[in-house]
Amino acid sequence: MTTDTAIPAEFPPAGRSLGQDAWLRLRRNRAAVASAIVLLLLAFAGIVGPYLTPHAYDRIYPQYVRAPASLEAYPKEDAIVPAFQRVLERARVEIGEVEVSGTTVRAPVSSGEPLDPRIVRYVDRSDLFSNARLEGEDGNALAEGATSGVMVANVQRLRFLFGTDANGRDLLSRILIGIRISLAIGVLASTMALLLGVTYGAIAGYLGGRIDNVMMRVVDILYSLPFIFFVILLVVFFGRSFVLIFIAIGCTEWLDMARIVRGQTLTIKRQEYVQAAEALGVSDAGIVRRHIIPNALGPVVVFVTLLVPKAILLESLLSFLGLGVQEPLTSLGLLIAEGASNMRGAAWLLIYPAVTLTAILFALNFLGDGLRDALDPKDR
Amino acid sequence: MSQEAILQVRDLHVEFETNDGTVHAVRGIDLDVMPGETVAIVGESGSGKSQTTMAIMGLLASNGRARGSAKYRGQELIGLPERKLNRVRGEKITMIFQEPMTSLDPLYRIGRQIAEPIIHHRGLSAKAARARAIELLDLVGIPDPARRIDSYPHELSGGQRQRVMIAMALANDPDMLIADEPTTALDVTIQAQILALLADLQKKLGMAIAFITHDLGIVKRFADRVYVMRGGEVVEQGATAALFAAPQHPYTKMLLAAEPTGRKQPVAAGEPTLLEGRDVEVVFGGGGGWFTRSAGEVRAVDGVSVALRRGQTIGIVGESGSGKSTLGRALLRLLPSEGTVRFGDKDISGADKRAMRPLRRQLQLVFQDPFGSLSPRMTVGQVVTEGLKVHEPGLPARERDRRAIEALKEVGLDPAMRNRYPHEFSGGQRQRIAIARAMILKPSVVVLDEPTSALDRSVQKQIVDLLRDLQKAHGLSYLFISHDLAVVRAMADHIIVMKSGRIVEEGPTDAIFDAPREPYTQALMAAAIDGTPFRQAVQT
Repeated sequence: MTTDTAIPAEFPPAGRSLGQDAWLRLRRNRAAVASAIVLLLLAFAGIVGPYLTPHAYDRIYPQYVRAPASLEAYPKEDAIVPAFQRVLERARVEIGEVEVSGTTVRAPVSSGEPLDPRIVRYVDRSDLFSNARLEGEDGNALAEGATSGVMVANVQRLRFLFGTDANGRDLLSRILIGIRISLAIGVLASTMALLLGVTYGAIAGYLGGRIDNVMMRVVDILYSLPFIFFVILLVVFFGRSFVLIFIAIGCTEWLDMARIVRGQTLTIKRQEYVQAAEALGVSDAGIVRRHIIPNALGPVVVFVTLLVPKAILLESLLSFLGLGVQEPLTSLGLLIAEGASNMRGAAWLLIYPAVTLTAILFALNFLGDGLRDALDPKDR
Repeated sequence: MSQEAILQVRDLHVEFETNDGTVHAVRGIDLDVMPGETVAIVGESGSGKSQTTMAIMGLLASNGRARGSAKYRGQELIGLPERKLNRVRGEKITMIFQEPMTSLDPLYRIGRQIAEPIIHHRGLSAKAARARAIELLDLVGIPDPARRIDSYPHELSGGQRQRVMIAMALANDPDMLIADEPTTALDVTIQAQILALLADLQKKLGMAIAFITHDLGIVKRFADRVYVMRGGEVVEQGATAALFAAPQHPYTKMLLAAEPTGRKQPVAAGEPTLLEGRDVEVVFGGGGGWFTRSAGEVRAVDGVSVALRRGQTIGIVGESGSGKSTLGRALLRLLPSEGTVRFGDKDISGADKRAMRPLRRQLQLVFQDPFGSLSPRMTVGQVVTEGLKVHEPGLPARERDRRAIEALKEVGLDPAMRNRYPHEFSGGQRQRIAIARAMILKPSVVVLDEPTSALDRSVQKQIVDLLRDLQKAHGLSYLFISHDLAVVRAMADHIIVMKSGRIVEEGPTDAIFDAPREPYTQALMAAAIDGTPFRQAVQT
């Protein structure tokens, strides 16, 4: 009797589940894998990026309103001299020849009266220059009461890779924060739709009969509410907030999910393994949780990958209409809306956010397609 | 061999690319089909018998590849471009499939489906093609073909659909007909009719038939020559009579001996009655229930009384639609029914789900389809222990695991497999898992709903033996539902024959088999057990 019990119970060979099978198939789909990598990179950029960029997303540079995208640092060489002259003119001093060397700019200044050392503030006040100081001609500190000296200042070099917007804010930082907000709304709204829709649909489909009828008529009624109208109502009621947006989107998107899951449930509940569970005496809740929902997840996963871009687009629409996130926070939809209004003079304001959004949507859709192929049981 | 073979297959290989690497489904087989002869290709599921013909017809799945040679009258078919291949397939070599329910397009009338290949291959006018279609329907024995031609597939029975499939295959006077398990999905009496029809048509039209089947009984009565396939290879071939008289290969011998044997002794008269149904009635319909095919009420079970005693096995036989499965489920209170159902001394007729839950442990059910009855997302261990979670919720995980190991060992499975998923198992293994799921609860009554119908013959025998051993070990009572009389004969000591929801005849197994009184029972026996070859039956 004792010999038989020596079964290696600790490490029985693990089998490959259907999910792992699908994963293998997904990995062979190049477009899907590339999309997943792009998405991961974008998500990473959205999360970490804003901390790494030199500019805060809400910092305004009045001198650099609508600066075009450029790899070179601002200010450009030929812009330094006139800017320095303009600054010194305000200080009411006579200016000699301005010379730029590396990161410092210097110009001899003179005045009929003794030079007031406080005029360096005029220089410091500009975004272009910092650490302004007055020196004597010999390079030492200016002597008390001297009427001429040299104004020296460091040139502050700033890079705006994607240019700046109409308020003089760095577009790159704003796009990164926009990615963060858009993806967050997409994921949160989809999660909400997922939880609501799957639970509701599975319950309606499994219980069937009159309960199903009532539950699905409720869905039909909610379907007939116009989305924008619903959102405006919510905004008027509760005020604009980030949470409200994904609740609004989630509240409208779960209806599709509920219908899909209900349809799946109707077929699954006629499967013999559900009947077998019934014959074992498993409770309704147990059947829904252990048998129906796991087996309905295939199409649901595919739908979610298509739901995320949909939610992002809806958020863009809301932001475009001015019902979405509030300035100075931004989202891709808002950035595109701003870009659209500045399209004539500053095309980069439209191009960069639009390219980012398109990349996200493409990647999500490709990934969804790949998942659908991978999870399709007919291909097995 | 004086005649030239019309189909000559040499060294045919079929391979499939899968996640687990290349699967070699067919490993270099040779095959000849002479004009006008019937060749049977026999083998169990997975032996590559269907893939062989699929490769010849160029119908392999997208991940499949065929190598080697298959010549139709000297013309190489493997690697032939689609357009040229279409001139052969569908015209010279045609095919009928197993599933008559799904191989006809439900959206088109059958007349159009038959006429289409005629118009395509022969260039006949629509009118002429229709006339030909009526002629063909008449040929395959569809009554009133001029009216039936405008039916949709769903208006026909399974047997009639298979006849329509045969008519489609015959439309262009083929030289050769490939029949891939054409009768497996049909009831025994219909099966016999279809086989007789095929034999008759062959005599009239003189085409060759390649007949793929797992059923040796059919082969014996139908084929001239037999190829026995196993694991993608032909292990034995020869004339039917010679092969059946003196099988050479051990596998063939095993197949021939795979008919379930043995008889069950009737239980002592004093054993108590465990499960009893009196005047059970199940009515579907009204508001569009589960199984309603047509509008209106369907009386699936109509006043049936059963009494199952401890240790007894009652076999319920009947064709599809006779209400035998419905009866089984009604007795387990899985379906609402009229009449009285008693379990032990308790009346459970009106018991609802909650009241039934504690009793479920005693009353278990094993299903027909081992592929459908296990949830694909649960490991075998989870499947087997699910019942324990319900009935002994306080059991620690370690103890549950130990019971699962025990139950899996009892049904002859390696318990180390319990972390695997059902799709990694064969049909027979899955059925063992399903049995383990029922047995782990130590039930007293098990309803077995066609537990062997979806399995190969040799596996069937193992499952029958297993069920018998379990019955002996635990004193179980079985309600054995099946259309397979050979299995029922080996399992049951009491038999109920059902037709259209009513009991036609009932009695001890031997009495029913040896001296059936009712004509319906006699017809059922004749179709299933009768050894007369179909050809002789046709000639007389």
